[in-house]
Amino acid sequence: MKNIIKFILLFVIGIGFSSCEDVVQIKLDEGSKLYVIDAFVTNTRSNQIIKVVTNDTYFSNREPQGVSNAQVLLKDVSSGEQFNFSYTSNGNYVYTLNVNDTIAKPNHQYELNVTIDGVIYTSFTTQYRPAKIDSIEAIFDDGQGGGFGPATKPYYNCLLWAKDKTDKNTDYYWIKAFRNDTLINATTDLNLAIDGTNGPVGDIGVDSTVFTPPIVFLGFSRYSSGNTCKVEIHSIAKETYFFFVQAAAQINNGGLFATTPENVKTNIISPKDSKTKAIGWFNMASVDAQKITLP
Amino acid sequence: MGFRFLQFFLFLCLGFYSQEKVVIDGYIKDAKNGESLIGATVFKLGSNIGATSNEYGFYSLTLTKGTHVIAVSLLGYKTYTFSIDLDKSLTKNFELGEEDTNLEEVVVSAEAEDKNIKSVEMSVAKLDIKQINKIPALLGEVDVIRAIQLLPGVTTVGEGASGFNVRGGNIDQNLILLDEAPVYNSSHLFGFFSVFNPDAVKDVKLIKGGIPAQYGGRVSSILDVRMKEGNSKKLAVTGGLGTIFSRLSIEAPLIKDKASFIIAGRRSYLDALVKPFLKETNALKKADFYFYDLTAKFNYRINDKNTVFASGYLGRDVFGATAFKFNWGNTTATARWNHIFNKKVFMNATAFYSNYDYLLSFGTNNGQAFNWRSNIVNYSIKPDFAWYLNSKNTIRFGAQALYYDFLPYNATGTFLDGSKAKFVADRRYGVEYSAYLSNEHKILPRLTIEYGIRVSMYNYLGKGKAYYFRDTIANTTKPLNETRTYGSNKLIKDYINPEPRFSANYVVNSFSSVKVSYNRMAQYIQLISNTAASTPLDVYTIASNNLKPLIADQGSIGYFRNFKENMFETSVELYYKYMQNQLDYIDNADLFINPTVENQLVQGLGRAYGSEFYIKKSKGKLQGWISYTLSKTERLVRGISNDDWFFSRYDRTHCVNTSVNYDFTKHLNASINFVYLTGVPGTFPNSKIQVQNLNIPYNTDGIRNNYRITPYHRLDLGMTYNFKKNDRRKYKQNIVVSVYNAYNRRNAFSIYFRTKAGESNQTEAVRFSIIGSFIPAITYNFNF
Repeated sequence: MKNIIKFILLFVIGIGFSSCEDVVQIKLDEGSKLYVIDAFVTNTRSNQIIKVVTNDTYFSNREPQGVSNAQVLLKDVSSGEQFNFSYTSNGNYVYTLNVNDTIAKPNHQYELNVTIDGVIYTSFTTQYRPAKIDSIEAIFDDGQGGGFGPATKPYYNCLLWAKDKTDKNTDYYWIKAFRNDTLINATTDLNLAIDGTNGPVGDIGVDSTVFTPPIVFLGFSRYSSGNTCKVEIHSIAKETYFFFVQAAAQINNGGLFATTPENVKTNIISPKDSKTKAIGWFNMASVDAQKITLP
Repeated sequence: MGFRFLQFFLFLCLGFYSQEKVVIDGYIKDAKNGESLIGATVFKLGSNIGATSNEYGFYSLTLTKGTHVIAVSLLGYKTYTFSIDLDKSLTKNFELGEEDTNLEEVVVSAEAEDKNIKSVEMSVAKLDIKQINKIPALLGEVDVIRAIQLLPGVTTVGEGASGFNVRGGNIDQNLILLDEAPVYNSSHLFGFFSVFNPDAVKDVKLIKGGIPAQYGGRVSSILDVRMKEGNSKKLAVTGGLGTIFSRLSIEAPLIKDKASFIIAGRRSYLDALVKPFLKETNALKKADFYFYDLTAKFNYRINDKNTVFASGYLGRDVFGATAFKFNWGNTTATARWNHIFNKKVFMNATAFYSNYDYLLSFGTNNGQAFNWRSNIVNYSIKPDFAWYLNSKNTIRFGAQALYYDFLPYNATGTFLDGSKAKFVADRRYGVEYSAYLSNEHKILPRLTIEYGIRVSMYNYLGKGKAYYFRDTIANTTKPLNETRTYGSNKLIKDYINPEPRFSANYVVNSFSSVKVSYNRMAQYIQLISNTAASTPLDVYTIASNNLKPLIADQGSIGYFRNFKENMFETSVELYYKYMQNQLDYIDNADLFINPTVENQLVQGLGRAYGSEFYIKKSKGKLQGWISYTLSKTERLVRGISNDDWFFSRYDRTHCVNTSVNYDFTKHLNASINFVYLTGVPGTFPNSKIQVQNLNIPYNTDGIRNNYRITPYHRLDLGMTYNFKKNDRRKYKQNIVVSVYNAYNRRNAFSIYFRTKAGESNQTEAVRFSIIGSFIPAITYNFNF
């Protein structure tokens, strides 16, 4: 919602004034070292990866530096099972799945332990239920633009049809869209939903059986004939939802109505006396996916 | 205690005097158009006995019986000197003729010109509309608020930001009064223009410190804008064709010298000019983008003792297309009655209504829609009395009741299947009562003090829900503990604040003085905005069981000195301001459509201090001012920036303002502005982290506003050509050519950080400028 207002205001300002943006070179201090744990585990039947890296200078422009000497252990607190992730490269810790195996189960509680140089960093989360995808609809557009901007080549928009459970529980989702199996990953395409709507309204979700716009637009991107469009709905914890909202606000925080920059929260707990703190995020997701090929 | 105080007070006022006294009172007006003149002085020559006309042009002067030589004067007007033999009290009205500005005249009486030395007022800036008219303006549009921003101690966070900051105060800490009714949003088009139509404005006064007891409700400044009454001598039409809008005002007497009116309107016409050239397919073809305002005032002088006024303002900004609509505006209405009780007691009773509302809606062609609106309504009555007790004491007292009726939001979402979701906040109500008493007392020939007290009481009222929260870790959402429902007009929470006010002026000699002042102010309404610039959609909130009123204490001291027969006025002022319960926000605050928005807010401390240097030349061909301000503004909020003081968003260390104009001939005038401001602080990252391929900026020190963006500086040039007057038709016209940002600087509004488009690891810093080039403009003005 905030972003829509920002967009409108910027558009209006743009009408009358010569506002402009240019890339500038500035010198920034170097922050102290932090471990960054990126642990988004799903119930898909593919190898699961948890990343343990360090932070980097803001303008470093390279892959994050991996931490190779960590022990990564995922515990299913509800069942008592334990999963050891082993190091491959670039800070990736992988759990290799058998065909019949999934390590993530809805309504189970999980604990993550990452041990580096004898210090144990911990995190807890619960896995929530998935939403069911009904179909993906391809909508042809003649490219005439309907008013906004100049005409372009014809293209397709993809729409998601999915259902949310209408009960008292509030569900939080992250919708990932892929064009030709590549994740559409611009922050503007970070598609988050509460109960299938573009919530939140206060803390209250708005239950809706059918997912509503703008959630249903898959990546706000154009697809060409012959492309594939794949979509995944990940169930996320409420805290994960707010982590993404906060991160998205920090990543492109420009313009007249930019908010005060702030550090994103973390659900990784560092021991009080640890010399190097760990930040990052841990989420366990139930995933529903579908894929179409455009005509 | 109360009685004792009153006794003491009366003793101070009445003091020791026995000689037989008479009173001379009346109104002072402009001879040409009958407008009452504010701040004119009526002085007994060769003494320090005198009076100043108030906001309605009324003066009352107590003298001993006998013969006196009296001078009536006001800067820019011919001084009127006369001898009078007083044996009884009488009423005498004066009409002053305008001074011919192009003559280097010899001034007989300089009483009015050293008012800055003699007046007890400090930290006050007055601009009359003639001065404002000469300042080169953005897009050629003369603007009150932009002129205010050239004064010492007044800054903004940048172009395009609504409002202004005074001595480290937030934009919501300025009480902006248009004929005594508060204006909540003083901006058109996101701060580029103010809502005040210069053709209808008579007088602008900004009070930054030593705020007198009759004002209250905001902690940092009072911007008192007075509208013209309307020409009571003859029909006058003023207008202009500018780059952005055109203006027209009509003023005329209804009954000569007794009743008159003014009606003034403006409308932007960018849309009307652009649309014919747009293609049918362009989105702007169907879009609305304009703003307008209408200002009107009527006055009727019933007799020497009674005058009534009615004034109103209506303004709106409208932007929209098929996909979205967006508009906001203020409406104010004021009714006033001036009554003189017995030559010595002047009363003004004001009743006003003020409404600020805003609306946002968007929808798709398939029928999905979202509508959101919010408003804030004020009703108030306010009697004010001035008792010109004797030549040494002027007592002011009065009271105000101010009712707040405020809708945080009313939103409706319409879904594809036609079903609707409604989110309507409870309306919130509050009432603020205040009463004040003050005395301006000439204790000694050289020492004048003004002391007073204002007591404000605030009640947060039902009907509605009040939320109560549990305390938790700082900088996180407080959990809801309890919701209580209150009936209509039931008291939920009350506050009471005594607000002492004091100022003193010691006249060292005829050309210099030292002034000190102290004031405490309480404020019961604050703006919720955590964006860099305030948006027109920011919601106000009133004090409640969770939000305490904002309290500020300010002390200032100043030295004032005039040089060369008052040719140059100079001053140095130091101030220190301490604020309690200033609003701030928890991280990731959710401020939009949130019934429990109060648990997203935190209150902290603020402090601001600085020094202001000012030199002004207001006579001769070359006029203008230069000011320099050195200041610091900080905040302290639990849970933010490691619980340490951090710079506020509008802190500017150095601030230089220059505004100069020069009359080449009677017809040609040139003007220059130059401003230099230290860049505002910003929070910059010192590292980045990557989670799910998102490059998130991160500051490992956790310090807010740890860097500064590049300095802001700008030069504006203006030239006015006044055509030769046509003697038969009395038709005046001029052309103003101006260039804003003459040397084409790209001043940064902010610097922010982002991931390069299409490259997952590449990050960059971006400078965002609102005005990226110089802006020339031409305006044609006429008056007959």
